[in-house]
Amino acid sequence: MRPVLDRIYDGCAYAAGLFLVLILVFTLLGVAGGIFDFYVRGTDAFAGYCMAASSFLALAHTFRKGEHIRVTLILQQLSGRTRRWFELGCLALGAVLAGAFAAYAAKMVWWSYAFNDVSAGNDRTPLWIPQIGMAAGGLILFVAMVDELIQVAQGKDPSAASPADEPAHIE
Amino acid sequence: MEQLLISIFLIVALLGVLASGLWIGLGLMATGWLAMELFTQRPAGDAMVTTIWGASSSWTLTSLPMFIWMGEILFRTKLSENMFLGLSPWMQRLPGRLLHTNIVGCTIFAAISGSSAATCATIGKMTIPELRKRGYPETLIVGTLAGAGTLGLLIPPSIIMIVYGVAADQSIAQLFIAGVIPGLMLSAMFMAYVVVWALIYPSKVPKPDGTPGFLEKIYASRHLIPSVFLIVMVLGSIYSGIATATEAAAMGVVGALLLSLVQGSLTRETFMASLLGATRLSCMIALILAGAAFLTLAMGYTGLPRKLAEWISSMELSPYALIAALTVFYVILGCFLDGISMVVLTMAVVLPMIQAAGLDLVWFGIFVVLVVEMAQITPPVGFNLFVLQGMTGHQITYIGRAALPLFLLMVVAVAMITVWPEIVTFLPNRMLRG
Repeated sequence: MRPVLDRIYDGCAYAAGLFLVLILVFTLLGVAGGIFDFYVRGTDAFAGYCMAASSFLALAHTFRKGEHIRVTLILQQLSGRTRRWFELGCLALGAVLAGAFAAYAAKMVWWSYAFNDVSAGNDRTPLWIPQIGMAAGGLILFVAMVDELIQVAQGKDPSAASPADEPAHIE
Repeated sequence: MEQLLISIFLIVALLGVLASGLWIGLGLMATGWLAMELFTQRPAGDAMVTTIWGASSSWTLTSLPMFIWMGEILFRTKLSENMFLGLSPWMQRLPGRLLHTNIVGCTIFAAISGSSAATCATIGKMTIPELRKRGYPETLIVGTLAGAGTLGLLIPPSIIMIVYGVAADQSIAQLFIAGVIPGLMLSAMFMAYVVVWALIYPSKVPKPDGTPGFLEKIYASRHLIPSVFLIVMVLGSIYSGIATATEAAAMGVVGALLLSLVQGSLTRETFMASLLGATRLSCMIALILAGAAFLTLAMGYTGLPRKLAEWISSMELSPYALIAALTVFYVILGCFLDGISMVVLTMAVVLPMIQAAGLDLVWFGIFVVLVVEMAQITPPVGFNLFVLQGMTGHQITYIGRAALPLFLLMVVAVAMITVWPEIVTFLPNRMLRG
């Protein structure tokens, strides 16, 4: 199970990276259009969809790497059992929130599809397509939270115990 | 009365959730959900995903990952070494000598990078060992680096300004340009501090490496060309109105990739590391922004921001008193929270207050960035402190003390932009295109 889950988190992170590259491509298309006088419909909107897809798909991977910001002032003061119970509490609440988010996002995708909801911009994209990224990302974050919850409950250390050592990664 | 009690309960719940260690973006969502359940009949879950979808797929936000990615690429190039080689010959004669490479280096890199921690890390990577080798006093090496690194926030491009612009619905291009003069002013104040210090304690400044002639200096400056090229490309295109912030950032990414290709530091590994690093960082910020968007919506239903704004305006504070109070508030908050969370958390409540007081929102953005800069170097939580702790091995309290004079200079800078708001508004009012 472990390698499968890790592969899912990483796979989604690569997909998120790809969407970041696509933001670059769409934006540059817009710039090139301004210079060489051609017009590609909806580049701004597509860049926005890529932004959403990238953000949500990377959620689980970022979580596993310990790069989602949290206030650790109190956590650091705790040790042993108390600290573990705090971690478990955070993970349980996190899992509930991520699960609810994923469920409502999936519902939104379904309604957008059922009512044929189309973007208000000139790209006329059926909105359910880009919204899939949000629901999928929420779902994988939920899986990662539950995964971590089980790990910590079994007495293992949180996978994200040590924050990333590369300083450029903050603010 | 009952509403007031529930509002207070909400704020306590928010602080409790954050302090318990729940990831900040999720904590904001949880509090928003609670507020929706308590104050409205609207289904909280549907309102949440609709708001978050709108906030997360906005085009304005796309400048964020682009600037972050640009910084991640440059962090992995030889830009830091080049900066030191190009700057040090010019600084030999100034009182304080090479300590100024910290400040000027950070100022220049701040104009390429949008992050304070990245600025601090990139410049420090080279200057810390070089200055230590020559025997400069440790407190000044660390202090100037911690302080000047925060210029990464004020001098555009700036991640925190994008966050503010998105949260307050202000033009990011205008905010960027508004940061230029205050940034240069603050940088000059830091340099003046080093000069004064060196004149008081001339014996503590090591001897110069030699006195390069004018032509030598000019020749050494060739190392600065790549940085200057990137600055002109990114900021020039924004100021002249050719490009929006996102377009300028996209060109910046291309420029950074070219630079790293020319220098031979572009490999498959560095490319992927920079891309995934940028993906994670922008994901982290996007989650906080998503949570904040929902909390702002929910807070609107509680009526709390409006009441607070009415209450503040009923006190008829002078703008000076209001700004002074907010400065104290943010500095205290900054001891415990990171800058981005600080901005998004307070916007829902503070913005109506600022509008009621008749203050300009671009000006207020620069004010917020300045107080967030202070937050970067106030213990126990401050990212520049964390970065420098990792790089120098000193305790956070030591670094905080070393940076205290520069912190005080930032307080002076806040007072200056409050008394003379034109320092901020002069350039944006003269932009070719908003």
